[in-house]
Amino acid sequence: MIIPVRCFSCGKLVGDKWESFSKRVAAGEHPKEALDDVGVERYCCRRMLLSHVDLIDDILEFHEKREVVDIRGER
Amino acid sequence: MELVSRGAGGVAGLSGSGGDMVLKVEVLSVDDDRVRFLLGGVDVAFTNALRRTLIMDVPCMVIDDIFFFDNSSVVPDENLAHRIGFVPLRTDLDRYALPGDCDCGSELGCEKCRVVLTLDVAAETETRTVYSGDFVSEDPAVVPVSPSIPLTKIAPGQAVRLEAYARLGTGKEHAKWQPVSTAVYQHVAEIEVDEDRCTDCAECVKACPRNVFAMEEGKLRVVDVNLCTICGECEKACPVDPTAVRARPLDDLFLLTVESTGCLEPARLVAEAVRILSVKLDEFAGKVERGETEDVIDVYAVAEVEKARLARGSIEDVGGDDEDAVSDVGAEDEGDVDSDVE
Repeated sequence: MIIPVRCFSCGKLVGDKWESFSKRVAAGEHPKEALDDVGVERYCCRRMLLSHVDLIDDILEFHEKREVVDIRGER
Repeated sequence: MELVSRGAGGVAGLSGSGGDMVLKVEVLSVDDDRVRFLLGGVDVAFTNALRRTLIMDVPCMVIDDIFFFDNSSVVPDENLAHRIGFVPLRTDLDRYALPGDCDCGSELGCEKCRVVLTLDVAAETETRTVYSGDFVSEDPAVVPVSPSIPLTKIAPGQAVRLEAYARLGTGKEHAKWQPVSTAVYQHVAEIEVDEDRCTDCAECVKACPRNVFAMEEGKLRVVDVNLCTICGECEKACPVDPTAVRARPLDDLFLLTVESTGCLEPARLVAEAVRILSVKLDEFAGKVERGETEDVIDVYAVAEVEKARLARGSIEDVGGDDEDAVSDVGAEDEGDVDSDVE
C-alpha cells in the first residue's frame, strides 16, 4: 500500500528513497541505475523498492472525490 | 592503528588462548553510516560476541508510545503507529537513560528518559504526504534521521494529529531498536602464491569473482586480500598440480562491516558495543570469582512442577492460583497509583 519504512530483512531505512526511485524509473531510467544511485546496495533492500506497488493513491481517489462531510462540526 | 588491550587479553584468556594477546584494529573506511575495519588477535567467539552486542544490546532511540488525537487518513492507527515506530531517530546516548535505569519510575518516562514528538498535519485543499520531517521534537537533537520518509498520505479534509513518546531501548526487546542494519564479520584470507610453480597464466585472475588478483608486468599479484571470500575458484582454475595459488582463512583476523541505521555514528556504535561487552564480561568474571555460576532457579525442577500441575488438571487449583495472582497485582497497582499522586 505504502512503501515500508525499513527493509524487512536487514532493517536499513528504505522508505525515504522511494519517491526519488519511483520518479526516476517512471522517467525511463533503468531500475538498476536508480537503485545504485539512491544507495541501496544489498538485494534484500533492492527488492523492497523494486517489488513495491504503491496502492495508496488508488485508495485516496475515493477520499479525494468524496464531498467533505461535516462530522465533528470542525469543517 | 595498533593497541595492546588488557581487556582483549582477558577475553582471549576466557576462550582458552591465554596470555597477553595483541589486539589489532585497522580502520579501512569510515563514512556517515558505515565503518569497515580489521580486527586481529581475537577469536571467532569474541568477534561474534561483538557482532551480537551491536545488534541486540547497543541502545538507540525510537518512538514507543503514541497517543492519537486524530487520524482520518487511509492508514489505520495501528499500521501508522507501526510505521512511526520504525523511523530511526538521531540518538543522544549521553543525555538520556534507558527507562529501566532512570529513577523516575514513570510509565511514560521523564525528561531524562524520553523525548516527546508531535505530529500535527492537515490537508486543506490538496492531497499531501505526511513525512517524518513533519514531526516536531521537544529536543532538536532527537529528530528522524531522514525528513523524507513517507508515513501516510492524506486527502483534503483529512488530518493526522498525534503525540509520540520516544525512548531508548535495545534490539533484544524489539527490532525497531536495532541500531545497525548490517553487522557482519568475515574471515580475512591468506593467499599464498608459489612463485616457483606459478606460470603466470592468469587463469585465477579470470576465475576470481571478486577481482582479488591482477597481472602486473606479466606477474601475478594480489591486489586486495580483503576482497577475498575464500570461494576457492582460483584454486579450481589453477592448471598447475598441486595448485600454485592457495587461499586459506586466517583464524585470528576478521573484517567487520558495521552499517548504522543513522541513529548513531558507526564508530560510536562499535565503541559502545565494546563498552557494554566489557561490562558484561566484568560481571561474569565477578560471578565466577564469587562462585555464583550455578543457576539459582533449577529450570528442570520448575518444568517438573509445571508438568505435574498440568497432569492434575485441577480446575479449582488453577482458578485459585489465578485469583490470588490477580488480587496481588491489583494491590500493587493501587499502591503505585497512591505513591504517584503523593
